[in-house]
Amino acid sequence: MALALVKEVAVAANAPRFLYLHWPFGHALGEPGNLAQQRTVLHDMLSMAALAPRPGLVIELPYRWRRESYPSVRDWATPSEAVVSAVSL
Amino acid sequence: MDTLNQQQIDSIEQGPLGRTTNRDDKPARTHTGRLKEFFERKFSNSAVLFGVVPIGTSLGRWVSKIIALPQLRKLATGEVPWAPLRKPVSESTVVLLSTGGVHLRSDRPFNLNGDPTFRMIPKDALQADLTISHQAYDKTDALRDINLVFPIERLRELEAECVIGRLAEEHYGFGLMGSAKRLMPSIKEVARRIRKSGVDLALLVPA
Repeated sequence: MALALVKEVAVAANAPRFLYLHWPFGHALGEPGNLAQQRTVLHDMLSMAALAPRPGLVIELPYRWRRESYPSVRDWATPSEAVVSAVSL
Repeated sequence: MDTLNQQQIDSIEQGPLGRTTNRDDKPARTHTGRLKEFFERKFSNSAVLFGVVPIGTSLGRWVSKIIALPQLRKLATGEVPWAPLRKPVSESTVVLLSTGGVHLRSDRPFNLNGDPTFRMIPKDALQADLTISHQAYDKTDALRDINLVFPIERLRELEAECVIGRLAEEHYGFGLMGSAKRLMPSIKEVARRIRKSGVDLALLVPA
């Protein structure tokens, strides 16, 4: 289960599971001290690990850099909305 | 292992830099910062090329593509490897790998011009025990909060909350290496160690 910050590289890597974020290098989990953001990304990673139906998927997460607020992850057992909607497309 | 109660979880999520969550169900959208976002994406968080030349984010992405894509077209062919998760995440053993140049302060730094080796990082390593040797990305924020490139503290919390079953005893850091071929012996050794240690799920985080 991998994070990617360059979409073309993620697609070309042909790896089992990729989540792509349009965020700067050095910030794959987000902003310093933003625990809710970091936990959101981890929730997405764990959700994809459990839910990906086939290899080779690159799911693009919708979070805009420094323009979002992140709610607390309350139920880790439920897959994240971002991953569920991408997988069901 | 004791589960953190809701009060403890709330205090974790407020974080040392102040309140960072909202309590609504959906992400709240801030008002326009499009120009600011454009500049931050294109120009700030500069990497340094060859240790000397500052380059903006866009050029950094282009450089990473021209280095990686030709190699991937040759190497990443054929069937995609696939191992479905055989247990719930809450029972799984998780290992963390980073290519952000993270290592123990007490360990040998990565060669900034390219390094085909890896470093082992124990599961209980604290922020203060870790440092970064990598010059192809702006590591200012990651040095303030190592979780941006190596979320070991966040994963320790998730282990305590029983979100994941267990954190592996050993985790792995890689530095800058433009040649996949030169990196292969290290990759194979790390894969061997991970397989031997009974890990169920590997999380990979880029620089």
